Amino acid sequence: MAIDASMEPMLEVFIFETTTLLEQLDKIVLGAEKTRSFENSGINEIFRIMHTIKGSAAMMDFTSIAALAHAVEDVFFIIREHPDALGSVSENLFDLVFLASDYLKEEMEAVQAFHETRGNPQNLIDQLSRLASLLKGEEVPPDAVGTDLPASVPAPAPEATPVVAAPAGQRYRLRVRYEEGCQMENIRAFMLITQLEDLCDELISIPDRPESDASLSADIIRDGLILIFTPAAGVSLDEIYAVIEAAVNIESYELLDAEAPLDDFEAVHISTADGPTEDDIPREEVTPAQAARAMLPGSGRQQSLISVHQYKLDQLMDLMGELVTTESMVINNVDLRDMRLDNFSKSARELRKLTDELQDVVMSIRMVPLSGVFQRMQRIARDVSKKLDKQVELITLGGETEVDKTINDAIGDPFMHMVRNSVDHGIEDPQTRRRLGKPEVGRIVMEAKNVGGEIVITISDDGKGLDADKILDKARRNGLLTKPESEYSKTEIYNLIMLPGFSTNQAVTEFSGRGVGMDVVRQNIEKVGGSINIDSTPNEGSTFTIKIPLTLAIVDGMELAVGDTIFTLPITSIQQSFKVNDPKQILYNTDGSEMILLRGKCFPIIRLHRIFNFETEITDITEGILILVEGAREEACIFVDELLGEQQVVVKPFPPFLSKYAVKRMGLSGCTILGDGTISLILDANNLLAQHH
Amino acid sequence: MANTAVVDSAQSMLDDLRGRYLTFNIGEVSYGLELYHVIEIIGMQPITKVPNLPDYIKGITNLRGRVVPIIDVRLKFGQPERDYDDKTCIIVTTIDDMNVGLIVDEVSDVITLDEQASAPPPGFGAASADRYLSSIAQVGDRVVMNIDIVKFFQNDLPQ
Repeated sequence: MAIDASMEPMLEVFIFETTTLLEQLDKIVLGAEKTRSFENSGINEIFRIMHTIKGSAAMMDFTSIAALAHAVEDVFFIIREHPDALGSVSENLFDLVFLASDYLKEEMEAVQAFHETRGNPQNLIDQLSRLASLLKGEEVPPDAVGTDLPASVPAPAPEATPVVAAPAGQRYRLRVRYEEGCQMENIRAFMLITQLEDLCDELISIPDRPESDASLSADIIRDGLILIFTPAAGVSLDEIYAVIEAAVNIESYELLDAEAPLDDFEAVHISTADGPTEDDIPREEVTPAQAARAMLPGSGRQQSLISVHQYKLDQLMDLMGELVTTESMVINNVDLRDMRLDNFSKSARELRKLTDELQDVVMSIRMVPLSGVFQRMQRIARDVSKKLDKQVELITLGGETEVDKTINDAIGDPFMHMVRNSVDHGIEDPQTRRRLGKPEVGRIVMEAKNVGGEIVITISDDGKGLDADKILDKARRNGLLTKPESEYSKTEIYNLIMLPGFSTNQAVTEFSGRGVGMDVVRQNIEKVGGSINIDSTPNEGSTFTIKIPLTLAIVDGMELAVGDTIFTLPITSIQQSFKVNDPKQILYNTDGSEMILLRGKCFPIIRLHRIFNFETEITDITEGILILVEGAREEACIFVDELLGEQQVVVKPFPPFLSKYAVKRMGLSGCTILGDGTISLILDANNLLAQHH
Repeated sequence: MANTAVVDSAQSMLDDLRGRYLTFNIGEVSYGLELYHVIEIIGMQPITKVPNLPDYIKGITNLRGRVVPIIDVRLKFGQPERDYDDKTCIIVTTIDDMNVGLIVDEVSDVITLDEQASAPPPGFGAASADRYLSSIAQVGDRVVMNIDIVKFFQNDLPQ
């Protein structure tokens, strides 16, 4: 059911709204699952969320989504009326709601990609409606699928049924399963049906006419071949079984049930196959009062948030970058050099102030709190630990820390992978943990902090930690070692797991260990200018430290000259700059490297022209200037020819063509185009200082 | 219908470029580069040096807001460096959606070659400059060495 072209503008809004609502839903249900109970407000909120989704889905003509939302809404309607009923079904309820939420999320992706829904939620709807009946305290035979559904469904359209009139006699439903990998299941089914036809008055198969389409084999493999038949007079069930047993490659067969009235079965069958039809009927059951209550929380409130397409924000950001560059082009224009322009300078300062302010606003628009990402991690931790039978508690701190939207989007997947890894490889199973004297519930802490111009996020678990010997062994076998083993430090060994093609887990699991793990994590984080570090203590756990820049686009920098080259050093890493007047101030280390004593502390001197091998005329330490810079772990003075002044620059990445040459590790994070069109290289204090060692 | 016509004509324009080569000189030798990969020819630009690169990558330059790496073809072919003069220019090429500038001694002209007129390069030259060649063509009284741009960039392209 592809949507109408006129609806397209609405589609974005629909997807955005529904996705946001589903995130809210997850959050409420996760919280409720922890305490094993629902707050009244929570129930109301879920009810409202589902009601909204149902309404907008129906409007967009996504009937399957509306039907599912309706089923969830039904369940919560009952819970709201009878909160006591909750106790008997809670476990099942949480799982079902999560399933429904996942299903809807998948559909949202399908809608975004293909403008139509892809799945059939009937199974979920059935389960939900059974749950609803249970909640109502109705007597439900356990195998009656969706009891209240067929009752409210009108008789199915006759042309939809492949069946002819129902003769008398006992009717049986039988499921036949073929051996795995026996091939051509559809033809085998056809042969079996032909054999059985003589013995039966009437024989229906699901799928109908399997020989007509080879792709039906897949259905048969998945659901088995279902035969609905009435044995001919004088033929016993045993004779039929004998025929089935005589056929080759049949793994098993089972009698599903014996049912007298065929029409009933068809009714159920049709309604399962054709989800949307029953949507209309139950929806009318929503009483006006109920609907009004559901609308209440949203109505009458002033709407102060608007959603904007990210494309527009990206555009705004680009324009902002251009504006900053152009502004410096005008103000530092060569034509104006050495002119006395008092009024111009005054206006220029005004302009500068305004663009600064504008830039701050543009940046802040793009900032989103990390809590959304953290929320998703809760979900991942829950799902993975449940699947693996481990007990894990994920604690998130600092979710209010804000990062640029682009960064926020880019770090979701790597974090997901790391949390999965922690649960899968890090946290032990409860028995082992008990034996080791650890609390049975494993603990993963995710913490975000704003440190200087960077966001530091740590993910630490209290699991078994990384096994350095095992890693080294594995790296050796995969030929990943580049120097003698004895020279590897602990940190270097841990970092080996982020090399492409490394995976410590022997068995590939569903969640982690496809061998694409940590190197993809590192790549994704480095793509947004971040870095990742691993620390681990055996049996105490591992800590992953991720540092990412607050924003990618614009930095306040100091322009420095070294020979013909202009460097930009982010202001945030500069502590002070000073001239050395007396060469005697310079001390020499035993290896001859230069140092300087500053306020009782000794700092190494890094000569930029020397480490980058650039030509310059200024090599005398008293002629140039020293800048004290602060990296993540160390401080040092860098020596340059001169300071050219402060400027805001728009960061551009190096062309991918250069990525092979580890320019980043040399201490350059990117480049920028200055007002006069020349390119300046942006220094990265962390890598610059680190590679000096 | 109108759309397919546009696509067709764009396609045929690209097809027109096939078999056409931009020739340039390094010293006395004439080289050809498939026109298909050439975007434009510009004069020498200020080039910003980037540390830690091989000699033949001279650095990066600003091409209308795009940061483009610049390769000195002379050095890439292992020939001695010489000063740039007013004939030196940069051929901006495109490969895998990346732009790369090539510094050459001088650009001469665009020629059309048919397959028959060109011979494959000798097979033994793996160590020398002709490992970048796709074919050698005789055009009038001169010989043009055609560069295979994929081979030419092979060592530099990100893996």
